[in-house]
Amino acid sequence: MKLKQLEPLSNDYLESIGFSWHTDLDESSYISNEIVVLSEEEANAYYEASNELYDMFCEAGQYVIDNDLFHEINIPFNLVETIKESWEEDVHWHLYSRFDLAGGMDGKAIKLIEFNADTPTSLFETAIIQWALLKKNGLDEAKQFNNLYEAIKDNFKRLITLDSDVEKFEEYYKDLGWKILFSSISTSSEDENTTKLLQHIANEAGFNTEYEYIENVQFSDEGIHKDDVNFEFWFKLIPWEDIAIDENELAMIINEIIKNKKSIIFNPAYTLMFQSKAMMKILWDMYPNHPLLLETSFEPLVNTKQVEKRCFGREGANIAIVNADNSLDMKTDGEYEGYKAIYQEFYEFNQDKEGAYYQAGVFYAYEACALGFRKGGKILDNMSKFVGHIIEE
Amino acid sequence: MKHIKKISNYAMVGGLGAVLVLGLVGCEDKNSQKNDAFTNASQKQGAFVIIQEEINGSYAIVDEFPSANTTIVLRKPDGTERILSKAEIDALVREEDVKIQNGTSALTNPEVSSGNGGMGLGGVLLSSVAGAMIGSYIGNKLFNNSNYQSQRRTQYKSPSTYSKSKSSFSKAKSSTSRSSSSSKKSGFFGSSNSSKKRSSFFGG
Repeated sequence: MKLKQLEPLSNDYLESIGFSWHTDLDESSYISNEIVVLSEEEANAYYEASNELYDMFCEAGQYVIDNDLFHEINIPFNLVETIKESWEEDVHWHLYSRFDLAGGMDGKAIKLIEFNADTPTSLFETAIIQWALLKKNGLDEAKQFNNLYEAIKDNFKRLITLDSDVEKFEEYYKDLGWKILFSSISTSSEDENTTKLLQHIANEAGFNTEYEYIENVQFSDEGIHKDDVNFEFWFKLIPWEDIAIDENELAMIINEIIKNKKSIIFNPAYTLMFQSKAMMKILWDMYPNHPLLLETSFEPLVNTKQVEKRCFGREGANIAIVNADNSLDMKTDGEYEGYKAIYQEFYEFNQDKEGAYYQAGVFYAYEACALGFRKGGKILDNMSKFVGHIIEE
Repeated sequence: MKHIKKISNYAMVGGLGAVLVLGLVGCEDKNSQKNDAFTNASQKQGAFVIIQEEINGSYAIVDEFPSANTTIVLRKPDGTERILSKAEIDALVREEDVKIQNGTSALTNPEVSSGNGGMGLGGVLLSSVAGAMIGSYIGNKLFNNSNYQSQRRTQYKSPSTYSKSKSSFSKAKSSTSRSSSSSKKSGFFGSSNSSKKRSSFFGG
């Protein structure tokens, strides 16, 4: 792996643009001042892999619905109807998501680790921070696989045009004027600023938008409201499984709202299927030995080094790496114990000279549109660092 | 690499690009409020305008979008950029006001603009949607002038900049529909605890 040392962005600058989560709990910088150098060919391979994987997830989603496998992939029962409703109509458009991939450099094959389809983070870092890093260091910012901002903007327009062609947006929208309400919880500035970045992009696309903390948003069978004003669209940076488990009543109201076509919610409920790590078992069943997939099972794999994960685990919590002889290599605790376990064949990330591991995050908005990296230990947790990239020959 | 779209200065982060770059090169206007590139995106009383100075000395509006504070960025032919200070803006507006009074402003007199190959910076500034706010005290001299209405359209580098700008400003005053239902519930996730601090992550 090739890295390039750069002059870091100052914390003052990062704060001036609203990027408040620049420092980790141990006072170290969350943004690495080294960036990954990769070739056009490598960048293109990430692009192609992500596009192919997305198509496979769509096939797998249909398969889950056709065969009623919601319980198998650990979907809370109170969202099943909502998921089915959202799957049926195009207007429930998938705005953006992020594939986590291992490999892709030093000749190592790309493998899917998981799919963050519902509420992916690292949006700000990928779209803006790594771009600013190149800009600050006098490097050609065009040499980055990073069309995230524009790709999401176009995808917002597709909520109206429902087509790859976004040219007609203004013509259609001027008669509709449908508003988007953006929400996140009030106790996380990371979530709030990420949500407001998305709101800004929607504004630039031409939408009427507002922002409101989730606790102040009003829900009824009649729709989703802020200050008694009805919103046709609602974007929530709140995981669907949290809605299902922590706020059952809200899940029930949302079910009615979707059924009665009172409001459309983003990302759509069906993205919870994609989000479930159990989907990788479904994919392995449908596409056995596919080069982009790692073998995944609901039972421990035999004589194979593997990773045990929970269907809706996050931040590297509740993960165990188990050696082929069944001895434990490494384990993390966490609060996701209650979710179903899956067992995925172990695959080593690309590694630098210092021994740090790198995972690629490829954003998808209608097509693969941007690349960023995370670096950390064998299990990437919430102390891992964001790493930008540059494409050089 | 035909599939990988390359970014360009402004396309990549839209109007935000100019805000971000100015912070990087350290010529930020100290009077302009920080931390509001988009955190205040919903409170748009001002505008962010990028004006390009062409080699022939004429000016055109490259991009314009609503923001919490009014900022005018002047991009020189060599690509360097700077923010016009409040004093500079006021002076330009005052100069243009005098020209409007005595009939020598291209904004209100079509013969002036066709005669010397374009408007001065003050004229272009006032022809922007933002200009209408900046120069609101002379607005009534302009808005009822049909030449002004047609002139301002021509000061945008492309028609789409104009229509985009126009549509994004009109939404600030879009009408809202009222709901009659009174059985709404709220307060969900009101006691969000630390377990929900992060929504998702590169886990695993």
